[in-house]
Amino acid sequence: MSEPMSGRMRVVIAEDHYLVREGTRRLLEDTGEVVVVAAVGTADELLDAVHRFRPDAVIADIRMPPDHHTEGITAAHAIRAAHPGIGVVVLSQHANEQYAFALFQHGTDGLAYLLKERIGELEELLRALREVAAGRSVIDPRIVEVLVGSLTRTTDAPLSQLTRRELDVLRHMAQGKNNRSIAESLSLSESTIEKHVNSTFAKLGLAEETQLHRRVTAVLTYLRYGPEPAP
Amino acid sequence: MRVLAVSGGLGLLYAVALGAGLAASRTLPWALGAVLPCYLAGLSLCWKAPGHPVARRLLAVGSWAALGLVVRFTVAFLGSAAGWVPGPAVSWPLLLLARMVDVVAAVMVARLLALLPDGREHHPYERVALRSLWLLLAAPLVVMLVPMPLWLRLRLLVQPEAWMPAVGAGLLVVRSVLDTRRSGARNAGRWRTVAAAAFALFAGRGSMRLFRMWQGDDGPAYFIGCALGALPYVVVSAGLVYGAFRHRLPGLDFTARRSTVYGLLWTIIGGWYLGMVTALGLTASQYLPISAAVLVAVSVTMLCQPLRRQANRLAARHVFGVRPSNFELLVQFGTTLEHAYDLTLLAPQLAVSLQEWLDLRWVRVELGTSGPGRLPSADGTAGVPPDGAGSSRTRVGLCYGDDALGFIEYGPKDEGRFTPEDRDLVETLARQAALAVHNARLNAELSIRIEEVQRQASELNASRTRLVQAQDTERRRIERQLHDGIQQELVALVAKLRLARNQLCRNGDTVYTTLTELQDDACRVIDGLRELAHGIHPPVLTDQGLAAAVMSRARRLPIPVTVEIEPSVRPARFTPDIEEAAFFLVSEAFTNVLKHARAGRVTVRIGRAGGSLLLDVSDDGVGLCPTTGPGSGLTGMRDRIEAVGGELSIISRPGDGTTLRARITETRRETTDV
Repeated sequence: MSEPMSGRMRVVIAEDHYLVREGTRRLLEDTGEVVVVAAVGTADELLDAVHRFRPDAVIADIRMPPDHHTEGITAAHAIRAAHPGIGVVVLSQHANEQYAFALFQHGTDGLAYLLKERIGELEELLRALREVAAGRSVIDPRIVEVLVGSLTRTTDAPLSQLTRRELDVLRHMAQGKNNRSIAESLSLSESTIEKHVNSTFAKLGLAEETQLHRRVTAVLTYLRYGPEPAP
Repeated sequence: MRVLAVSGGLGLLYAVALGAGLAASRTLPWALGAVLPCYLAGLSLCWKAPGHPVARRLLAVGSWAALGLVVRFTVAFLGSAAGWVPGPAVSWPLLLLARMVDVVAAVMVARLLALLPDGREHHPYERVALRSLWLLLAAPLVVMLVPMPLWLRLRLLVQPEAWMPAVGAGLLVVRSVLDTRRSGARNAGRWRTVAAAAFALFAGRGSMRLFRMWQGDDGPAYFIGCALGALPYVVVSAGLVYGAFRHRLPGLDFTARRSTVYGLLWTIIGGWYLGMVTALGLTASQYLPISAAVLVAVSVTMLCQPLRRQANRLAARHVFGVRPSNFELLVQFGTTLEHAYDLTLLAPQLAVSLQEWLDLRWVRVELGTSGPGRLPSADGTAGVPPDGAGSSRTRVGLCYGDDALGFIEYGPKDEGRFTPEDRDLVETLARQAALAVHNARLNAELSIRIEEVQRQASELNASRTRLVQAQDTERRRIERQLHDGIQQELVALVAKLRLARNQLCRNGDTVYTTLTELQDDACRVIDGLRELAHGIHPPVLTDQGLAAAVMSRARRLPIPVTVEIEPSVRPARFTPDIEEAAFFLVSEAFTNVLKHARAGRVTVRIGRAGGSLLLDVSDDGVGLCPTTGPGSGLTGMRDRIEAVGGELSIISRPGDGTTLRARITETRRETTDV
């Protein structure tokens, strides 16, 4: 079934709870920006629908039958592997960064991790669908909030390879700054900052990805493993 | 001394040979019943302890008495051979000689008795008294020289030696009394009793002689006289032999085989018995025809046989003690073993028994000493083991299977050699003792285990009760949160929805704001539900395992947390009960740190070693109060950890933080690729 209207995003919804599934479908179609080409209840049905309809993006519940664990994440990885052009928004009831890490473990491109209640923030949801469809990445502000607020550090961090200056740069990056404002904050030249950023990417093994996604991944790594131990 | 012994022996042989020839000799009973025992006892004592005064005196008495026999028998033989009846002129000197010899023998007996047990003079009066006895030698001369009637002269001549044993025993009584007073010796009381008994006996004997002189020397009086006359010699000989052997007379330190001693006593008793029977025969022949007399003698001999046997048995029992057979020993020891729960009693008992049964100089028994410390052990010693390693000793190990459970060590026998039977006995006892030690060990181990199991059981009971209580408390908390929190909020949502409807009907302007509020409220309810669900069970623990759950929990702590998780732990999944217990521990520890510790920093370490999961949560807070002990929170943690077979230790000092350290034996699930 193909949709002739090229301006509207074609989306598949996977959600096992009927009311939530239909509510989301109604909400999205109500905007006029989205065509829900399929709404299914399990991960297997989702993969099948993706295969058949080749949507622009997918909204997947993280917990689905049969086991109600992280079938949504597994399905997202499968979809990204089989169809790199299809973005996946994983809706989760877990305000827990560990699930986001699990989702992003093979890369952040075309993946979003949003809390389920974000369907109430319709604009946020639409934005996330657009971002993943474009191959970019979104992470729920609540998760970032937890990571930024965390005082935890671990001793096996990959960050231990970074120099103090590179960590400084990364810390500013995690606050959402671009290279120019980081340069201003640290009183360094923008080219110096760019050099630090590139060496950080190299040390974190992010050389192969696009600039923007390397940035997101680096920040996630930073947030995940925590700041440098206090002296 | 040798001369004395040889001449005594020759004299005795001569006398017995001659006496047997003289059919009607009335002196033969005396020779067999008194002189022979005395001589033999003296000879054997002298042989074993050549220098001892008592031994010398006894041999001297025996030899001298034998000499006396020679004199008498020679006189009698010459008399009968020549066929003449000696007139006074010839018989006087001979009679005098015989009397003199008898007196000397009697004085020697008195001196022997008076100086017992060591044969030395203790008091000045003894020397005077004993020397003055020799004056009696002059008595026959005095009797000869002083004119008096013939009958009185005869009576006086035969008297002195009859009283001498009594005089000796009397002196001994006096001496023992004085000795006791002076030194308070322990055995003095017994000596005094023996001495007094001897005195009574010998005084009776002296009196009997008087009676014989008065009544005449024939008939029953003759027999009684023979019996009593020989009595001091037999009693003294047997007493000395037995005493020397059994009680170790002072200075008479010799070892003799028990069989030798017994043989000697047997000979003495036998000689005396033979003498008495002969005397009886002689007595009977005075009244009856020879054939009848022989008949009487034989039948009395037969009848008196049990008496002799009894005497021999008495001697045997006193010499050998009650010596049970090896079989009896084993049975006895087996009975002892039945009650051998206490090795401290068994060890000395075994040592003493072995020493007594086998006549060993010393025995040392060590039971269970070669094992580990907590198990029972004991040692016992009988006799005094020599210090030097060079002295002869034998060691028999106690083995049960491959376990060495101690040993029995012993020195040489008091006398005689160690026979194969003795060795078998020791080895059998060693096996039984090993069994006893083994049993005692099993017993001890069992009671340790039982204590442990009982302790664990009661701890388990308490822990189970606490876990159930904790579960109930948790259920009540969830119920409260559902009813008082989320349900109330939903009710409020319903009320606000109703308000929105009203607003929509009246005026659509304000409804947008209300609906926005409603959405926010609903989001809050979702948050509340999420927290509640997380509190019941963190889904990340199920979905991603312990490391992820601990990290996630740590990130939400308002104080700095350092998490050190070994790389091998990160992807590992353990069984749900272990993961839950471990996460509960960390989570509760965090809660405690925040509530009580006033800590600036927490460190969590999770590692694995030797098939165990190791958890370590430490803070730099104020530490636990040492007086109050662990609170219910810590008890709950311990219960949870112990419920999965782990153990929890709490290390805390006031002002120096708290460290919780748990070790849980792993049961791994699968490995996830997170």
